[in-house]
Amino acid sequence: MNDIDTKIKERELTLYFGPQHIGMVGNFGITLTVKGDTIQEAVATPGFLHRGFEKMLENVRYLQGFPFVCRINVMDPDPNEQVYAMAIEELAGLEVPPRAHYLRTMALEMSRLTSHLAWLWAYGNELGFDTIGHWSMVQRDYFIDLFDMIAGGRVYHMYIWPGGVRRDMPEGFEAKMRQTLDGLEGSLRDYDSTFFNNRVFRKRASGIGVLTQEDALRFGVTGSCLRATGIKRDVRIEEPYAAYADLDFEVPTMTDGDAYARAIVIRKEIEQSISIIRQVLDKLPTGPAWNRVPNPFKWKIPPGETYVRMESARGELGAYAVSDGSEKIHRIAYRVPSYPHGILALETLLRGMNIADVGHMLLSLNIAAPEIDR
Amino acid sequence: MDRADIKKALKDPHKWGEKYSLWATYFCTGCGIMEIPPVLTARWDAERFGVKPMATPRQSNLFLITGYVSIKTLRAIIISYEQMPDPKYAVAFGSCPIDGGLYHTSYNTVNHLDRYLPVDGWIAGCMPRPEAIFIAVTKLWKMIDGEMVNGYKRYKENIDYYRKNQERVLGKEFIDSIPAPAVVKP
Amino acid sequence: MREETIKQDIEKRYDGSCVSVQRRQRIIVSVPKDSVFSLVAYMKEEGFGHLSFITCVDWIKEGEFELVYHLASYQDGIHAMVKTRIDRADPTYLSLVPLFENAQTYEREIHEMFGVRFVGNGRLIPFLLTNWQEMPPMKKDFDTEAYAERMFEHE
Repeated sequence: MNDIDTKIKERELTLYFGPQHIGMVGNFGITLTVKGDTIQEAVATPGFLHRGFEKMLENVRYLQGFPFVCRINVMDPDPNEQVYAMAIEELAGLEVPPRAHYLRTMALEMSRLTSHLAWLWAYGNELGFDTIGHWSMVQRDYFIDLFDMIAGGRVYHMYIWPGGVRRDMPEGFEAKMRQTLDGLEGSLRDYDSTFFNNRVFRKRASGIGVLTQEDALRFGVTGSCLRATGIKRDVRIEEPYAAYADLDFEVPTMTDGDAYARAIVIRKEIEQSISIIRQVLDKLPTGPAWNRVPNPFKWKIPPGETYVRMESARGELGAYAVSDGSEKIHRIAYRVPSYPHGILALETLLRGMNIADVGHMLLSLNIAAPEIDR
Repeated sequence: MDRADIKKALKDPHKWGEKYSLWATYFCTGCGIMEIPPVLTARWDAERFGVKPMATPRQSNLFLITGYVSIKTLRAIIISYEQMPDPKYAVAFGSCPIDGGLYHTSYNTVNHLDRYLPVDGWIAGCMPRPEAIFIAVTKLWKMIDGEMVNGYKRYKENIDYYRKNQERVLGKEFIDSIPAPAVVKP
Repeated sequence: MREETIKQDIEKRYDGSCVSVQRRQRIIVSVPKDSVFSLVAYMKEEGFGHLSFITCVDWIKEGEFELVYHLASYQDGIHAMVKTRIDRADPTYLSLVPLFENAQTYEREIHEMFGVRFVGNGRLIPFLLTNWQEMPPMKKDFDTEAYAERMFEHE
């Protein structure tokens, strides 16, 4: 018996935690080399969702590009539109009216909330907490209804474009938004007692997947994963864009750097987003919601380059755009936050862990597979 | 259920069981996957239609291809589809499998999924609303009743056509590596 | 202003370099390709400890690739773009992995998409594409619409 036991423990197997797996959210593959239940090595294999956005955006005109960009990340689409709009506005010298800045802030925070609530569904289901998954998906759907009201689409909004936003707030939107926010705020207490303060979850997530400050800086990790290690970095306070300079909000941090700390940072960010949207509704200025852009068929932007950045639900999202004086962009490259998390941080953290923690780490680092591949 | 339904079920219990328990293989193939969690959870509730996600393709009979299909994903889809037991139904979700959708100029996504895999039904939209998914499920029931969905039979009969197209896009090495006999001609 | 001090520092130490302060918190540094390694090492000591990402731009009319290294300084809040040009016909360059470990994945992607060989990377294996037999797809002379038409529009 001892002989067989040792043989099994020393045998190395290759497992494909590939795209078709109940623990995989999104289309991403990880090739594991395991000995018994311990992972020796993990190799991330992205590329299942590669569509070649950066190439396709070079073949279309500036305004034709904005329906493309929201599809770069399906879980959190509005930041991609915002970054594209900011890049075009900076290259072309366009002004955006103040009301549009506030409406953009509202759309971005709603997108952050829907991303965090979808994360809660995935994370809860991954660890076996199905109830919190149902609750958060239902609450998220009420925000999706609000997106439907203001932008016309449930998942892909195509709302933020160069020059402002596409549509002003319709009748009855503000009342419905306040009602939905109150509903979410009231149920956060239930979320805490079911999930975040649950003894089983604490045991499952404390001390697992610890990311130290040095490792986080070495890999280029940004966003809530960095804030969970104790470093307070947020593009919204370093380089305020849209209406964030006028709003009052906190940036939560924790110090342990384990999976539990990352979950609590996201939980506190949900509260902050609710507060930001309420402030936007209270302080919304009057005026137009967009500025006219030149005739899209004849619009040429003078040569130049720029780098714009913002804080998406996962970290620092940026775009490096180069124009060459023609009607199409010369090069646009997206800097996505899931890139360092999904490949470098994940492969390093998984060494020495159990197979059951692979899906756990994938979600704890809040990796969005479509972003990595673009 | 009333008497007429019970009679219908008893006449062909196989079809009745199959229709009302369409278990979908859990595979998030493309961006259309974002509408599936709302469909499966409490607000839209697909379980009252009998639709549930299933971890392994070997115990499921519905394959929902949610969105565009890149080359690497096509490889994984073929392996999963061939593991499913008969009868099985493949439903293409979104406008990308129909004709390429927004990515028809992309160098890494296929434009017409039914050249590589037998598709039994399409749901148009980018992306389709949950109501559209439920309408598709009820249509699929009617088609199962009328014996109009036979994608799995078509696959076996025309395996050479499908393999030729798959090889064109995926390369000979992969096609040769699919374990035989994967598909048995009737 | 901190951006101005950095500009003067770099222009004094590296001849051939040209620094422009685009606006607050943005500087663009153009250097000849031989100076990049030591310049990035110097900037890392000066507080630019975060490599955000690396991009490559194809200037086909001039026959050159432009590599852009995006460095960020958390203490000053400045984002710097270090640019250099290499030859397009036979693109080879030195890898920055000894300085920044996370350069490995970005260089891997540029290798696959543009065809640039990074000496010293050690992990230039296929990344996003599979069964790819054409030229690197992000180059300007690769026509993606014609390729999609030929490859995917068939019976």
